[in-house]
Amino acid sequence: MSSIHLAFSSEHGHRLSALAEGTRAVVAHLEAHRADGVERLQALGVTKGASIVVLQTFPGVVFLCDQTELAVERAVAETILVRISEG
Amino acid sequence: MSCHVIAEQAARKPPVLRLRAHPLRIALVGNPNVGKSVVFGRLTGRYATVSNYPGTTVAVTRGRTLVGAEVCDVIDTPGVNTLEGAISEDERITRDVLVKGEADLVIQIADARNIRRALTLTTQLSRFGHPTILALNMTDEALARGISVNAELLSKELGIPVVEMVAIEGRGLQALRDLLPLASPIRTPLLIDAAAQAAWAHELTTRVRHVSTLSLAYAQEALSRATRRPLTGIPMLAVVLYVMYLFVGVFGAQTLVGLLEEDVFGKGVNPAAIWVVNHTLPFAFARDFFVGEYGLITMGLTYAIAIVLPVVTTFFLLFGFLEDSGYIPRLAVFSDRIFRAMGLNGKAVLPMVLGLGCDTMATMTTRILATPKERLIAILLLALGIPCSAQLATILGILGGVSFAALLTLFGVVLTQMFVVGWLAGQLISGQRSDFIMELPPIRLPRLSNLITKTRMRVWWYLGEAVPLFLVGTMLLFALDKFHALGTLASLGRPIVTGLLGLPASTSQIFVMGFLRRDYGAAGLFQLAHSGQLTGVQAVVALTVMTLFIPCVANFLMIVRERGLKTACTLLSVITPIAVLTGAGLNYVLHTFGVQF
Repeated sequence: MSSIHLAFSSEHGHRLSALAEGTRAVVAHLEAHRADGVERLQALGVTKGASIVVLQTFPGVVFLCDQTELAVERAVAETILVRISEG
Repeated sequence: MSCHVIAEQAARKPPVLRLRAHPLRIALVGNPNVGKSVVFGRLTGRYATVSNYPGTTVAVTRGRTLVGAEVCDVIDTPGVNTLEGAISEDERITRDVLVKGEADLVIQIADARNIRRALTLTTQLSRFGHPTILALNMTDEALARGISVNAELLSKELGIPVVEMVAIEGRGLQALRDLLPLASPIRTPLLIDAAAQAAWAHELTTRVRHVSTLSLAYAQEALSRATRRPLTGIPMLAVVLYVMYLFVGVFGAQTLVGLLEEDVFGKGVNPAAIWVVNHTLPFAFARDFFVGEYGLITMGLTYAIAIVLPVVTTFFLLFGFLEDSGYIPRLAVFSDRIFRAMGLNGKAVLPMVLGLGCDTMATMTTRILATPKERLIAILLLALGIPCSAQLATILGILGGVSFAALLTLFGVVLTQMFVVGWLAGQLISGQRSDFIMELPPIRLPRLSNLITKTRMRVWWYLGEAVPLFLVGTMLLFALDKFHALGTLASLGRPIVTGLLGLPASTSQIFVMGFLRRDYGAAGLFQLAHSGQLTGVQAVVALTVMTLFIPCVANFLMIVRERGLKTACTLLSVITPIAVLTGAGLNYVLHTFGVQF
């Protein structure tokens, strides 16, 4: 149970990879995945407080972050922790 | 606009323009795909490759412009997302321009829709201390999306002039020129780590930007969605490939080639050249040099202009369209998994598709990949398996006449081989692949003028870089033929060609030609097949080996330039046995099972 729980959420909320299409959320935290992963995401505007909308979940995760459409592989989406927006 | 604010500041400080030892050097810096190259073109009148694909500028381009009465050097740099931490090769190029004192003044170009990202870069730029101007580009597209930016407030916050522009239409360029003398160092708090920079950019963005409801055009949104989902994307890819086949394979390689080869060259240029040469040159040797079997005109120029040029031109035109429409990055979304199995990621789709036009040019674009491992694998796969447009045309020309099964066999074998080699390379080559993180630019209808300029530049590149190599290749062939070395080389390879591959002895010579230029060899095979000297099975085997074979001289030289002689030679010694052994295996299997095409 706990491992499943860990895979889908953490103290910061949900993982982007676990969200359904159309979900609106706000970026809460970026976990370090590879050495340069976090910096790449931050440079593209995926930073704490940025609002996102999930556009596609397969084969990769496509989401609108602020005004930029981004595509990331699942492993990267797992490192992006978000809080789901109300409504 | 913030002109008056800046004018007040300007009154307090001396302008940047003054007498100097060298022209003022202005660097254009910005995130990828924000229109730096368009601004560059507008300022200098020169063309830098413009596309709707992040990372098209992989090297620095320089030009000149007039600001008032002063001549300035303008430097177009590759797009950067960050200048700090782990940066890619093209980002390093831009960083070097700033660090090594190659620029006196910086124009940061920003996408007005994405100023949050731009501002993160602004904080990093402020560290270098250059007098800077911020140009907010694509304000029309921003407005269409309901985004407006308070340029005046932004200018006050950063302490630099801010200009609103629509560079592609030339709007705001005069204002940019007028404000150049007022450029000043950026005033931002010193923020060391990326998270703090991002937080600062986020905070400032919320103050200067106003977003009304998202109003992306419905059709645009629907198309964007359809192209990146496998269920709709794969059928669309099939349609795109079919259109490519019709436009490049049929219209370019058959209609246009027929016209140029048979009519223009066959009835016009070549007979005229032969007549002139025969009447002016007294020696048979010299006559052969120009119009003999391996003549500079009858072979070199005919191949380069009549056979390859139409194919390359039609391909570049179509590729430019796909690139500018924003389609190719979406292709990356669903091809990512396949590329990941080969130690790459979806980003590799751009060099691979470009390779279908010209492998040499594609080898250069592997710079957009983030790690050395990825670049090496991409270069290997391009050299090994991706047929260039000239080859593709020959393959379709020969096997299209044999059978569909023959075509399928060839592509099946080549793709499998690429996948196996790619997978092995992914396992064996040390280093890491990078994460697949990619920006998808908006789907938009390409501008015809940009498309034409882009194709013209690429064709010029082909004429300037590739055609001379064709001619050098022809001269080498001529020399080898005259000193009977061609025969010696060909007979050395003959046991392999006739024994192992089961091909006619004359194909040996064609493979030697293929060493000089892959498409040369392909064209040679074309003639052989047309005169009925190849069976279906032989055609499939010969073309498979040719496709997998060593890259053309130009491609080889490009690998040397990008990765060094040692790597290039290693790739060569890996690819050659793979090509021959695959051909031998295919020949054995086809014969054992008695396959006829």
